[in-house]
Amino acid sequence: MSATLKPYLTAVRHTLTAAMCLEHFSSQVVERYNKPEVEVRTSKELLLNPVVISRNANEKVLIESSINSIRVSIMIKQADEIEKILCKKFMRFMMMRAENFIVLRRKPVDGYHISFLITNFHTEQMFKHKLVDFVIYFMEEIDKEISEMKLAVNARARICSEEFLKRF
Amino acid sequence: MILLEINNRIIEDTLTVKYKNALARLKPESIDVKVADFDGVLFHISNVNGDKTKVRVSISLKFYKQLEEHGADELLKRVYGPLLTEAESGYNISLLLDLENIPDDWEDVVKKVGLLKRNCFASVFERYFRLQEDGDVSHKRAVINYRQDETLYVEAQEDRVTVVFSTVFRHEDDMVIGKVFMQELKEGRRASHTAPQVLFSHKEPPLELMDTDARVGDNISYVTFVLFPRHTCSAARDNTIDLLHMFRDYLHYHIKCSKVYVHSRMRAKAGDLLKVLNRARPQNTSRPTERKTITSVCHTSSSTWKNICEARLSVARRRDVGADHSSAVTSYVLQLTPPLR
Repeated sequence: MSATLKPYLTAVRHTLTAAMCLEHFSSQVVERYNKPEVEVRTSKELLLNPVVISRNANEKVLIESSINSIRVSIMIKQADEIEKILCKKFMRFMMMRAENFIVLRRKPVDGYHISFLITNFHTEQMFKHKLVDFVIYFMEEIDKEISEMKLAVNARARICSEEFLKRF
Repeated sequence: MILLEINNRIIEDTLTVKYKNALARLKPESIDVKVADFDGVLFHISNVNGDKTKVRVSISLKFYKQLEEHGADELLKRVYGPLLTEAESGYNISLLLDLENIPDDWEDVVKKVGLLKRNCFASVFERYFRLQEDGDVSHKRAVINYRQDETLYVEAQEDRVTVVFSTVFRHEDDMVIGKVFMQELKEGRRASHTAPQVLFSHKEPPLELMDTDARVGDNISYVTFVLFPRHTCSAARDNTIDLLHMFRDYLHYHIKCSKVYVHSRMRAKAGDLLKVLNRARPQNTSRPTERKTITSVCHTSSSTWKNICEARLSVARRRDVGADHSSAVTSYVLQLTPPLR
């Protein structure tokens, strides 16, 4: 793990743990209505200040919290064109499976590549610390996976062209 | 399977079966097979006028007219000779195989027929290779629209032959992966000193095609092979043609393979992440597990009860050899008194 990754992830972990302090909250506007306040934004007093943790210009995390839900948006680094398309494909692939990944949001927040929406129902059903673990694991793995896929494509390209040209 | 086969396996297999059956004196069966190949090529294997012993293999190429200009007919005549027959309507070339008098070298014939598409392509290359050998550079470059929107240019110069492929990437993602491949091709010369120089240009045609109507666009790339006499001499000629005419398919095949590989990795990773997420759910401990308790014995019939007692007694007796027999056994029996019903 590189020198800057560890403190970055630690900061995210602590912020998430602190932010994940959710309680059941019925809507103040409509009766028998319970929506994640971070999404519907019905009242200012229910929202907390959003936090941005950035490792560098291309990698940051936005954590928005409210009384009954938090939204975690991740910006994944994309150094070149190939990483860009790999990231795009991968995130699309994940978000199409958002039903299985209960906490995944179907669309990312503007300016970010992937978002999670964690509500009080999730924290009631699942262990809070394990949910934080999942987000951290996701952040670690996604970078690793994208760079490995990029290497695989490059390696294939090299072998293919060498094999082809060797035949001449 | 890094390199694609240049022959058509389906044609070869079909014809081999035909020949083998004929050699084994089996009753000939009728055949009507249509096979597609790369570059929009279509093969048709059929019987002529319902005569089951005459097998006709026809090929249709959309760009055969252009190949004809470069002497495709002569080359095919040279290679296939007596096999050539009048072309079936809707097809460009037809070969006729007679199952009644089979040549001794029928396996070679089958191989040759399998290479029909390659030989059609070969005419252009051979002609320009020969022009270069003769030092005849007056000929204008050959233009073959081998696919819709995709063109092949061949030009002979004094000391080299340049072959330019234009290829279209239907999807912008393909373009990116394609660029990686072409970059590697450009640098691939390090692997082999005999390889030709490969150049590629993206969006715009290379300089030598500037004066033509070569297309310009975001999704178009041009790949140029610069072939020197060591590639075009008669010894290496066939090999060069084999490789070059499959280049476009080879490139696109591997781009697709890369995408498939990436996709399979994503699938595996998504499964892995899902597993981590599911770990966050508390394990359901109230799951009813089947436990063996003494109360379950109550429901066993009296005969099974007796069996159990006897078995345990015999074990007890064996264990207590030499010891005070009667007391040990009785204590066991006491323990094993059946519970009250």
